[in-house]
Amino acid sequence: MRLVKAEVVKLLTTNTWWLFALGAFVTWMATFALNATVAHFTMGASTPEGASAEDAANLAVVGDQIYQAANLYTSGQLFGLLFVVLLGIVMVTSEFYHQTVTSTFLTTPHRTAVISAKLIVAGFAGLLFWVVTTGLNIPATMIFLQAENLPTHLGDADVLRAILLNGLAYVLWGIFGVGIGVLIRSQVAATVTAVLAYLLGTALIGVLFTLLAGWLDQDWIEKIQYGLPSVASSLMVAGRNLPNQPDYWVGAVVLIVWAVVTGTIGTLITRKRDIS
Amino acid sequence: MSDGQIVVSGLTKRYKNLLAVDGLSFTVQPGRVTGFLGPNGAGKTTTLRMLLNLVTPTAGTATIGGRRYADLADPMRTVGAVLEASSAHRGRTGRNHLRVLCAAAGLPTHRADDVLELVGLTPAAKRKFKGYSLGMRQRLGIAAAMLGDPRVLMLDEPANGLDPEGIRWMRGFLQSLAQQGRTVLVSSHLLSEMELLADDVVIIAAGKLIRQGPVGEVLASMTTTAHVRVRTPQVDALTAALSGLPGAGVTARPDGTLLVTGVEAPAIGKAALAGGVELHELTPERPDLEGVFLELTAGKAGIR
Ligand SMILES: Nc1ncnc2c1ncn2[C@@H]1O[C@H](COP(=O)(O)OP(=O)(O)OP(=O)(O)O)[C@@H](O)[C@H]1O
Ligand SMILES: [Mg+2]
Repeated sequence: MRLVKAEVVKLLTTNTWWLFALGAFVTWMATFALNATVAHFTMGASTPEGASAEDAANLAVVGDQIYQAANLYTSGQLFGLLFVVLLGIVMVTSEFYHQTVTSTFLTTPHRTAVISAKLIVAGFAGLLFWVVTTGLNIPATMIFLQAENLPTHLGDADVLRAILLNGLAYVLWGIFGVGIGVLIRSQVAATVTAVLAYLLGTALIGVLFTLLAGWLDQDWIEKIQYGLPSVASSLMVAGRNLPNQPDYWVGAVVLIVWAVVTGTIGTLITRKRDIS
Repeated sequence: MSDGQIVVSGLTKRYKNLLAVDGLSFTVQPGRVTGFLGPNGAGKTTTLRMLLNLVTPTAGTATIGGRRYADLADPMRTVGAVLEASSAHRGRTGRNHLRVLCAAAGLPTHRADDVLELVGLTPAAKRKFKGYSLGMRQRLGIAAAMLGDPRVLMLDEPANGLDPEGIRWMRGFLQSLAQQGRTVLVSSHLLSEMELLADDVVIIAAGKLIRQGPVGEVLASMTTTAHVRVRTPQVDALTAALSGLPGAGVTARPDGTLLVTGVEAPAIGKAALAGGVELHELTPERPDLEGVFLELTAGKAGIR
């Protein structure tokens, strides 16, 4: 508990936390505006006229509405998670960068306990980021949907699930950040790796694997991409299950495995490492 | 304040092909200031870091009050260490740096202000670390070490970056800590400073123990051969006069004096009188720590 408190004091006594929070807030505003614009032009645009296929079309529209609503309620996720993972990384790498790791390990020779405290605080910081973003998303989305004369969908199971899993993603990425930090001690290297793996990972890898799978005519290759943290994370928070994709909980499991594996390996290495 | 003895036994650290510390054994007693001396690369820092569980020894043990650092119930209240001057987050204030340590060690927050006062850093307490001068950083390090009011102190080159006033302050500070019965282990290069400060010395070179004991004894152990400074306008005549004395050696010094070893001052005076040599100075020299150190570590020094 002492150590958790010490990690919180460490976070609050430098500029990192509010700079990252500010970054997350600004990018949240941008993504919410973007999501709202997209939703405005897609929702209800395909209102069918034909009575024969009325039921089927209605279902499709509602499905699309739920998907859009879930997307709106989880706005800011793409960059929010990036800031959370960076926060986790900086919590570890700044100790090496500023050589405070010496006094940290002098105060607490039990290094595992120190890393554990960091994992807890990073996860909790992720949770806080989620609480704040969600606190902004819920009223903003409700206002937007009401202005569009659409139901808020807030009570829908799919929407609720998306919001909660979004929270899990924030926590797991915070923990994952600490794991990356202990594995790659260099502040610059860890940050660059995370940003590239996260952003490029999300955008490029999916395309790459789909192309590769098509080219080699092997479906399983396409499935490998869900083992990557960024792809797993977007799979987990999608508002609904899409065809040809694993279930959302597979994404959650993959992300937990990543967080646990990096955290454990990093801790084991740190326990043995000479600090000089 | 009992039980603050430091015992290093067979301590060894190998880096690839380099034996940084090589079967080192020594003890450090409470109530005394012990100087830890050695040329660059002798393994002082490595030894201190092994004592503090920051570096894992290849072999041997290092204990404080009979326990390894990692096994201490409350390390901050037992041992205070000052390792390098620059170990705080640049963007954090000195006071907040200490508060983080208080939180981690379960010490009350006001200890941060107490130790800032102790080292005279109160005026800079709320300034960020990046604005601290080298001497201020060193003082912050000492403040951090004193947070838990420990009975054992270890300092690696604490005089680095301190001005003469700061060095004098440090000397008084460390000596008063030792007088209170605490164990104080200080590594340093400044031998003249050590002669003023230390009660005991541990001298190492190339990772091995060269000598340990009270400063007086270590110096005395080197005075088996007499050293006498002689000034004369007739250098050659004196050299000739002394050549008759068994064991006498004459070395010219850059300042124009001669260093005569192996014979006492009266014998030199007598030989000079007999040879009709005019003497301007005849002074027996007590070897200082620096001379002893250089003699002891000669041939073993050097960066490895
Ligand atoms: N992490 C490391 N990896 C490899 N070699 C190391 C490492 N740390 C120290 N050494 C080597 O071990 C030897 C002892 O170093 P150490 O820093 O203990 O010396 P020192 O007595 O503190 O020297 P100085 O007086 O210059 O501070 C040196 O030759 C150094 O190069
Ligand atoms: Mg050193």
